[in-house]
Amino acid sequence: MPRTEKASSMTMELEQTRRPSTENAAGKTVKSAVPQGSARARWRFGLWVPPLVTFVLLGSSWEYVAHSKPFVIPPLGDIAGSIANDPSAYWNNLVVTLKEVAVGGGAAIVLGYLLAVLMCEFKILERALMPVVMVIMVTPVIAIAPALVVAFGFGMLPKYIVTIIVAIFPILINSLAGLRAVDPGTLDVLRVVDASRWEIFWRLRFPGSMPYFFAGLRIAIPFAIIGAAVAEFVAAGEAAGLGAMVSIAASQANLEVTWAGISMFCVLGLLFVAALTLLRRRILWWDNHGRAPK
Amino acid sequence: MNAALTTAGAEVTARGVTKRFGVRGQPVTVLDDVDLRIAPGEFVSVIGPSGCGKSTLLRIIAGLLDADEGSVAINGEAVPQAIRHKAMGLVPQTPALLPWRSVRDNVLLPTQVNTAANAGRNLLDVDELLTSFGLGKDLRKYPRQLSGGMQQRVAIARAFVFDPPVLLMDEPFSALDEITRDQQRLGLLDFWQSNRRSVMFITHSVPEAILLSDRVVLMAARPGRIAEITEIDLPRPRDESVFLSPQFREYEIRIREGLRRVMKNAQD
Repeated sequence: MPRTEKASSMTMELEQTRRPSTENAAGKTVKSAVPQGSARARWRFGLWVPPLVTFVLLGSSWEYVAHSKPFVIPPLGDIAGSIANDPSAYWNNLVVTLKEVAVGGGAAIVLGYLLAVLMCEFKILERALMPVVMVIMVTPVIAIAPALVVAFGFGMLPKYIVTIIVAIFPILINSLAGLRAVDPGTLDVLRVVDASRWEIFWRLRFPGSMPYFFAGLRIAIPFAIIGAAVAEFVAAGEAAGLGAMVSIAASQANLEVTWAGISMFCVLGLLFVAALTLLRRRILWWDNHGRAPK
Repeated sequence: MNAALTTAGAEVTARGVTKRFGVRGQPVTVLDDVDLRIAPGEFVSVIGPSGCGKSTLLRIIAGLLDADEGSVAINGEAVPQAIRHKAMGLVPQTPALLPWRSVRDNVLLPTQVNTAANAGRNLLDVDELLTSFGLGKDLRKYPRQLSGGMQQRVAIARAFVFDPPVLLMDEPFSALDEITRDQQRLGLLDFWQSNRRSVMFITHSVPEAILLSDRVVLMAARPGRIAEITEIDLPRPRDESVFLSPQFREYEIRIREGLRRVMKNAQD
């Protein structure tokens, strides 16, 4: 039987030869080596070409339908042209919607996480509030929105409220699950040294809940955009925001403006999701997304 | 290493500890009137079939569970006071490391909470401690970059770092493969022999218990109770050559027989 010291240093050497790229990874993104040379080129090919093919196929089908049945969908060029003709109108509406998503979604994120922390720390609050949360969650927001417009008028407030209502649930439910899903072993280790509730939250629950929180964000952000769109649809009389723009244009059978508005929604959503992905990579470098450890 | 390190641990006394769990209104007695004393600096292993309440006993001593009857004292102090002074270090079954903390920061975790109890105590030098655990080159690595055996060593270092007089280890090697486990046992043996603390060590392995312990406590199930206690009178410091000695064989046969008796009685 080998001596402990020798055996352990042997294990270490093995570890290092197997994972050379992780040696200086402290504090930085822990990533395995990117494949080099031709392997890398092949990897890139596999990454970009398949979706490109899909988009080209979809685009040409779109153009085919648009030219054979122009009353169904407009050609892509006309949509782009409509934006190019009056960029400031689109920009102004985009800014209104962006503001609703940012304020409403931001409030939903903060409130949702705080509520999750309170529910995690005080069970009685969960018992008191969860039924209400469920009742609101199962009610379709599209049914609540008109009532809110009646109650709060055509201003921004009902739009913020609708956005908060849709976006808060994924944050709340995911964060609560994350705050509770801490390793029971670590919890025991901390309890045996009399760590305070705050210390357990700050050292264990808060960082441990982040992967769940980010999973919630991924759902909540598109939801916030849906919330903003729905609120604008039902309050279209105010004629501000991308949702109102799409709704009015569609009712006038103005296909170019309708689809230009839709495409701006799409861009808005993609920008948010891209920003989120970058942020996640920065903050949650230690979480391997359920993939096998590198 | 620090001279203060060689001082012995605290005395652990459990008296008449009884614990019942209610399963659908049918209370099951998990521990029935258990008395256990661990002398300062003594290494005591607790062994027994599943369901004998050995983990429950450890959790009661650790203050993670309350006993229904009986009392536990650490150097004459009740458990809540002992916890406040950080008198006990826990090594759980799984390493339970935080993936966002480096090896070094994981080990430091217990020193960063309840800092009032750090005053006047001998916090070990983390780098030195990890080096003596064979992890000197891995201080800045993250848990997922380590093998299972190395992760468990980090978990043990985390329990030793604030130099508690009592260490509670709940089957720390049970998740490792047999070869790694042998390595870890010898590593722990080496470290403990130069830093004697009171240890309560739960295990399923008879050789592991004999190798490490001053006394092996055999527990029986339904209700969980102490069946017999074997003094392991092998000279210290021990190393792997212990496995080859005839006394080791004798102890092993004796404890295995005890285990068999305990299991048989449970079936009757």
